[in-house]
Amino acid sequence: MAINRYTKMAYANADEMVFGKCKFPVKAGLGIEIGAGYTIPELNYAPRPQSSVSTEALVKEYERITKDSMARIVQIGAPAIILETEHVQQLTVKPAVGAEVAHVQKSILEEYHEEYGVKCALRHTIADLREDREHLALRSKASDILESFDQCAAQGADLLSIESMGGKEVFDYSIVRDDTAGILFSIGVLGTNDMDFLWQEITKIAKKNNVVSAGDTDCSQANTAMFIAGGLLDKNLAHTTAIVARCISAARSLAAYEAGATGPGKDCGYEHIIIKSIAGIPISQEGKTSTCAHSDVMGNLTMQCCDMWSNESVEYHGEFGGTTVQVWAESLAYDCALMNTALKTGNEKILRDLFTLSDKYRDPQGYVLAYDNAYRIGEAIAANGNDPYLRSKAAAEVCCQIVQEGVDSGKLILTKFETNALNKVKTDLAALPAESAKFIEQCMNKYTKEVPVFMPENYSL
Amino acid sequence: MNKMLDFKKEDISDVLIRYNVAMEKTMTPDEAAEQLYPKDPLYKAVAVAIYDGEEDDVIDALDALLDAGNDPLKLIDDALLPGMGVVSALYDQGIIFLPNVMMSADAMLEGIDYCKTKTAEIPEAKGTVVCHVAEGDVHDIGKNIVAALLRADGFNVVDLGRDVPTEEVLAAVAEYKPVMITGTALMTTTMYAFKEVNDKLVEKGYNIPFACGGGAVNQEFVESFGLGVYGEEAAEAPKFANYILKNGANIDKLRDEFHFH
Repeated sequence: MAINRYTKMAYANADEMVFGKCKFPVKAGLGIEIGAGYTIPELNYAPRPQSSVSTEALVKEYERITKDSMARIVQIGAPAIILETEHVQQLTVKPAVGAEVAHVQKSILEEYHEEYGVKCALRHTIADLREDREHLALRSKASDILESFDQCAAQGADLLSIESMGGKEVFDYSIVRDDTAGILFSIGVLGTNDMDFLWQEITKIAKKNNVVSAGDTDCSQANTAMFIAGGLLDKNLAHTTAIVARCISAARSLAAYEAGATGPGKDCGYEHIIIKSIAGIPISQEGKTSTCAHSDVMGNLTMQCCDMWSNESVEYHGEFGGTTVQVWAESLAYDCALMNTALKTGNEKILRDLFTLSDKYRDPQGYVLAYDNAYRIGEAIAANGNDPYLRSKAAAEVCCQIVQEGVDSGKLILTKFETNALNKVKTDLAALPAESAKFIEQCMNKYTKEVPVFMPENYSL
Repeated sequence: MNKMLDFKKEDISDVLIRYNVAMEKTMTPDEAAEQLYPKDPLYKAVAVAIYDGEEDDVIDALDALLDAGNDPLKLIDDALLPGMGVVSALYDQGIIFLPNVMMSADAMLEGIDYCKTKTAEIPEAKGTVVCHVAEGDVHDIGKNIVAALLRADGFNVVDLGRDVPTEEVLAAVAEYKPVMITGTALMTTTMYAFKEVNDKLVEKGYNIPFACGGGAVNQEFVESFGLGVYGEEAAEAPKFANYILKNGANIDKLRDEFHFH
């Protein structure tokens, strides 16, 4: 597969983007078409830790999860669902185990599709285990996880994803030191470099098995920043810095689609609103209905242009209202029913804007990810599309501009700390070189010295 | 009907409250730091350099104190740790954020290493803490923050790294006799390794508080094993360790003091 960089926007303007519709819908699984005029709940779950005692127990756990979920979907009259199995280690370490789980799950989906006509599909997100105890081993251990992709695809997974970790070793060092160049290098350059490599391979496997090469997320970096930043009163990272990292991550996660992936992007990739504006792919998002997994400060806003709506993850166990997968599948399905009703009645832009506006000024992260502003980040990336460094830098710069405009308008109010952090990022960005080669050389020199676990052989730079 | 709302005109000011803005301290971090610095200009210079996270300035300030005839090891306790104490106090008060603390900790540790090169004596730490990431888990950013904050508070940290087998934790405990062990894990599937570490420690007769936190780890789980003390934030680790130095390794008391849920 070749790498085809995006240099143009898929949408003529931000207002064209809505939930449930995208420029390039994706067919998958049993009757599903993602982004073709309706939103779809995407249910994610984790087995109870004690089920790891044996392969049999683990497979049985996923069987229970799948049966429970599908039963609830039918009981409440939901027309469609996508199940996402994010691999626990055991499923990827032994590819046959992941494949067996995929087979068992898909068989249940087929039964429900045949009996009730429920549209459904199965996403498997392979664990990125390309590392040893001390270092990332992105290239040398790639074949292990690629085997897992292949076997899962052959046994029933309709959509292939991963949360890849390229650049994380430099990012972890940089983010807790407010090191703007390091954040940009780790996500925008190292992350993209690894994505280019990995997603060409995943796409080959998807084509061979006639399934969907779906998409990635910068969970290991931009979400780390978002979680360290935390809530309004947390004191660990400025939310202005976190949103800069997020915007850079859009330039990085875009690389999957440049290597042949077609979407849907992964739910926890909050950067996908930006990517949708550039690539026109369908996206999965999470927010108010993923509070079982984590808190964020934009729970409604993230629904604004989603094509799939996810709960992120929940451990399988009992609740008053059923098992957790039933409870959260139901919540997701009702959220989707509201969005689909808006689509059917022509009110989707009103609902979209209510989702957006309810959170837009809650936090600088939501402000920039509001679809009108996210579109502008997309434009900055596309305008510099051929150069991973320059497009990442442009995304960061326009992010700072957008936040500043929000402040100047009087609508977005920052703390002094957030303002200082924003000013620091602006100053740091202004001092960066204009050429990729120079930036990469500077960073290679610096981080090979300062980050002992950074191994340049993980990347082709 | 089917059009965009005008985001510039719509007023939703009562829909949300930016509590962080409403509660913000009026004093700037620099002003607050100024109030906490030592009065002696030579010692103040060390504290300012640590606050600024400037490693070279820390060395210059130490040189000035050494030139004035001060003992290198005493400078760790009298200049470097109090300087870092200013930063820790500002962080605890919510005046500065974690990246400032990390950069200050880097600068202070550089200063400690420098002082060590100036003497053959070995400095005595407040106590030793063994830090590790659960077996099977490679997510170590939380552990790195915990280790940095403990070092910044004057503790000797034995950092076992990530994906650490139980036997290695036990071996380190036997060798270093720590006042506390920390364990971090991102995933529910790996956090069960903590129970194994706990059981082996108990089996061997150790009564050392085992501070656990991170990702999916929760208080209920940590309370399910005898030595477990749950830490919701990395910044609690030095508070636990200091509490142990002062009050002994009483798990029940620690839980009473630090378990909030």
